[in-house]
Order: sequence, then C-alpha cells, then structure tokens
Amino acid sequence: MSSSTAPRGSIFSGIGYYLLALIATAFFAFPIVWMTLSSLKSDVDISAYPPKWIFSPTLESFRKLFTELNAMDALINSAFIVCLATLFAMIAGTLAAYGLARFDVKNKNFIAFEVLSIRMLPPMVSVIPLFIIAKQLGIFDTPWLLIAVYTLNGLPFVVWVMRVFIQEIPQSIEEAALIDGCSRFECFWRVTLPLLLPGLAATMVIIFMFAWNEFLLASILTSSEARTLPVIAASSIKAKAISWGLGSAAGVLMSLPVVVLVLLMQKYLVRGLTLGAVKG
Amino acid sequence: MGIEVKSVYKRFGAFTAVNGVSVDIKDGEFFVMLGPSGWGKTTTLRMIAGLELPSDGQIKINGRDVTYEEPRHRDIAMAFQDYGLYPHLSVFQNIEFPLKVRKIAEGERKKKVQATAEKLGIAEYLDRKPGQISGGQRQRVSLARALVRNPRVFLMDEPLSNLDAKLRATMRTEIKKLVTSLGITTVYVTHDQIEAMSMADRIAVMRRGDMVQVATPLEIYDRPRTEFVADFIGSPPMNLFPAHFDGKKGIAASVQPFADSLSGEVADRASSFADAQGQFYVGVRPEHLMIVRDGVEGAASANVDFVEPLGQTTNVYVDCDGHKFIVVTDRTEAKIGDVVGVAVTPGKSRLVARN
Repeated sequence: MSSSTAPRGSIFSGIGYYLLALIATAFFAFPIVWMTLSSLKSDVDISAYPPKWIFSPTLESFRKLFTELNAMDALINSAFIVCLATLFAMIAGTLAAYGLARFDVKNKNFIAFEVLSIRMLPPMVSVIPLFIIAKQLGIFDTPWLLIAVYTLNGLPFVVWVMRVFIQEIPQSIEEAALIDGCSRFECFWRVTLPLLLPGLAATMVIIFMFAWNEFLLASILTSSEARTLPVIAASSIKAKAISWGLGSAAGVLMSLPVVVLVLLMQKYLVRGLTLGAVKG
Repeated sequence: MGIEVKSVYKRFGAFTAVNGVSVDIKDGEFFVMLGPSGWGKTTTLRMIAGLELPSDGQIKINGRDVTYEEPRHRDIAMAFQDYGLYPHLSVFQNIEFPLKVRKIAEGERKKKVQATAEKLGIAEYLDRKPGQISGGQRQRVSLARALVRNPRVFLMDEPLSNLDAKLRATMRTEIKKLVTSLGITTVYVTHDQIEAMSMADRIAVMRRGDMVQVATPLEIYDRPRTEFVADFIGSPPMNLFPAHFDGKKGIAASVQPFADSLSGEVADRASSFADAQGQFYVGVRPEHLMIVRDGVEGAASANVDFVEPLGQTTNVYVDCDGHKFIVVTDRTEAKIGDVVGVAVTPGKSRLVARN
C-alpha cells in the first residue's frame, strides 16, 4: 500500500514543479514575446485594442530601423566597443585576480578594495568629469572612450569573481604542475586556465551584458559617430509620440547577440568541473 | 650525493616554522620525516621541492646547490596528500603531462605511460577522468605521474593519509617495494609512526621546527633521545621516570630500582642527557618490564591499578609510590589491588633527555 502511494506523491509533486516552472517561464518570457510580436506588426496592428494575436507579419519596423536610424552603424559600434572592452577587462581582471589569489602581494586586500571602489561611484557622478577629460583628449565621440570606460566598469567585477574561482582550485594542482616541469606561466596556461573556463564564461557573459546594455554613459559620451545600440533604441521615443514598432525592433536587435552568446556558453555556464573532482 | 640540507630556516613573520634543520639524505635512501602536524615537516619538504624558499640556509640535490632554483629545474617528483591530479585531463594525460611539458616525442611518451600504468595496476583506467576513480587509484595515478620520468628524488607529503586503514597498509608495502626497486632517493612526510617505522631507512623526528633525532627506526625505538621521541614512538609509549644526579647514589630516579639497573657505561653518559638543572629521565619500554613476586631483589614494589588483557599480551597499569606506569607482559595472574614486584629486563633501562 505505502509503496504505491509514495511514487504517486512524487508524480504529483513532479507535475507541480513543472507547472510552477512553466508559470515562472511564462511570466519572464511574456514581455520578450510581446516585444518580438510588436516588432513584426504594422503600426496599425500595434495600437489595435484588444491586441491582435493573428496578423500578417511585416519587417517594416526593421527596415525603418536600419534606414532612418542607421542601426547598422550603431550595431557595428556596439559590437566593436563591447567586445574589446570585455576582452580587455577579462584579460587584465583575470591576471590581477590570479595575482591576488596566489601570491603574497603587500596590502592585497587594500588593492582588491581599491579596485572595487571604482564601482562605488554612481555613473552619474563620473560622467561629467569623463566628458570634460574626453573633450580635452580629443577622444569624445570615438569608440576608444567607451572602450576605456566599459573596461574600467567591468574590471572590478572580473577581479572579485575570478579571484574566488581561482581560490577554489586546489593549490596542490598548480604545485604539481610546477614540479612536473612547468614555469609559472605554463602552469597558468595549461592547468589553471582550463579549469577556470566555466568561471571565465560566466563572468564574461555578465560583463558583456553590462556593457552591451549600458545607456547612460553611452548617451552622454557620444553624439553621432560612436553611438551604440541602446542610444539608438532610445531615440524611438520622440517628443510627441513613441514609435512602438521601431522600439520593439531595436529591442529585438539588441537581444539577439546576448541570446546567441548565452547559448554558445551554455556548456560552460554549468559549473562543477573542478569541484569534487580532486578529493573523493 | 643525495640531498644535503644545511641549517635551513623558514620564518613566517614572527613564527619560525623550520629552525635551522641540517641533514644529509643519502643517495637511494628512504628518509621519513615524522612528527605531529604543523611542526615543520611539510615546510621542510616544500623547501626541498622548491615550492617554498628558505629564509636562510642551503639545499643541495645531488651535489648541486638548488636553494633558490625553480622546482622544475630540480629533477624531483612529488606526491601530494590530496593527489594534485589535473581534473580536466584523463588518467593517461595526467601521467603523460610531465613528459609532454618536457617535450618528449609522442611515441616514447605513450610507451612510458603504458609501462608505468601497468606497473602500478592502473592500465585499465587510462581513459577515465580523476573524478571517476577511487581514492586509492588516484594515489596510484599520482605515483605513476611522479615515477614516469624516472626522477632522482621523490618527495611524498602524507600520500596515504586520505586512504582508509586497510588500503593504507597495502599501499605502504607497495610504495616501499616500488621505490626501493627503482633506487630513488625518497623523502616521505608522515605523522603516522607505523608508516615511519615500517618504511624508513632512517627517520627524522620533528618537533617545533627542529629535527630532534635522526636515526634508523629501531634505533629511534630502542634509544629515543628525548622525552618527545620516547612519548611519540611506541604504543603504549615508553615509561619515563624523572631522574637527577645525587652525590651518594649517582643517579636518583623516582623509581630507584630502574635507575640502579643502568649499566655503569650508560650511567657515565648521563651528564650528556641532563638539562641545566641536572634533570633527565630514566626510560623503560613497557615490554621490558616484568611482573615478579613482591620483594624480589632489584624489583620495585607496586600496586596493580588495572589489568587490560588483549589476548596476545596484557597491559598492567601499576602505581609505585604515586608513579603510574604500564607493564606489557604475557598473560598474568595479577589482579587489581595486588601488590607485585616490577623488574626491568637487564640492560633495557635508557637515559632520556627532557624536552
């Protein structure tokens, strides 16, 4: 008797879990679905009430996005700026984190804190000095300014998160490599780095998304040449009306690279390669 | 040749982990550093490995000064307590790693890995990841990785302490056989006296960063130099009786008959065991004491506190004027509360220095 009730209970709780997961997914996916549908509707269909679920899709909004708002330039700007900034922040941040995690650096907690303090300043406070500095240096409205700013913005996050990931790798693994014939750098390259891949992937996705979505600094520190996608997307909101179709199309365009990136990194985002593999 | 350690110090801030250790480890010797954790054995080993730099002193391996050399230039191999295997590589790639780093041709690498894996009985696991094999197998992999490139020096840092008792016993014999057959100089760190006694050619007992005594296992057991060594080696430990010089009697001990049984030649050396106050111990291993009839000449009179029959032997806890100690005998008639005589086997009383 009891043996027949137990599995039934677990079946019900299983269904319950799936139901809950479904509701949660629907809740989070709804705005995205709505945005995607809106980007494919004509202006008339968008403002129809009650909402039209069946309509003839059109790419008119996307066409306008690329012709009227120069979205292609913005897309290239965004990709160039964010990729380079992410790369720089990852390289500098991971090496710094390795040093802080593994070596006897004087005042290392103070250094780590100092790096973190970059994040303590609200962006609004730094934007005016940055604007003035950029004007003086003649790099206003160039990609380099935003690359520098985004690198700095991402750095604290990389240093602090990667430091923890590095500390989780048992030191004896690196020491074994040193004794097996590696130099410090070879040891980092051949042993530590492969074990850090899940951490690197997770960190990279997050700082990429920070920079990709950043609006405030981009809107003030660029005017026309170096404009990024978020700035373009925001310009669909005009003084007298909001162009819902254009805004939705810009939203879809912005979301695509992030979705692709997460799908590519999915394998690494699942943690657990190093943990538990050493001791039994 | 072998390893020469010359007055090596390691200080961490105000704390001295290794306090001027000097020792010559002979070529092909199995040398064990024994002591409780945190008293400098692992630090000494790590300095020989080059994972830690000495604050002072010199280390030579095979006649070459390597004090400040990188580990990779020392021609050493090491086995770690937690194995230190590369979790992202297969067992094969783990064993192959040191050969690959040293840029040895692929064909030769394969042959060597295969041969070493067979010697250690792990050939069937070569495709697995370290996470998919048992603790004992992992330790074999780490030994294979160390031995695959025929190092001249093999360092082992408590390699067996993560294994269960039964496996530890078999691995102990295996490691000893393997290393002896290859003739590699081995330095082995452990806190387990049985490992030290059964494997070592020589043992160094370490206490607070000092090597208290360096000798063969039997020498350490038979003639512990200090109170610490006497207490640390042997189970139950050596009985120690406080002693000092006395004008009339020569050596006066808390249980006088045991001091009287010291031969004249030994008694002459007593001054070298005495501390500044002239204090030292007379030590007797429990199995060198016997229960005799009370009143026998040369025996101390004692009360039986407790009797612990263990089958093969019997531990008798006795009390002689407030000095409690243990006698290990064959089966005995003695019962709790009996008054018995305790005599020492001739020539088995020892002098032991205070810490």
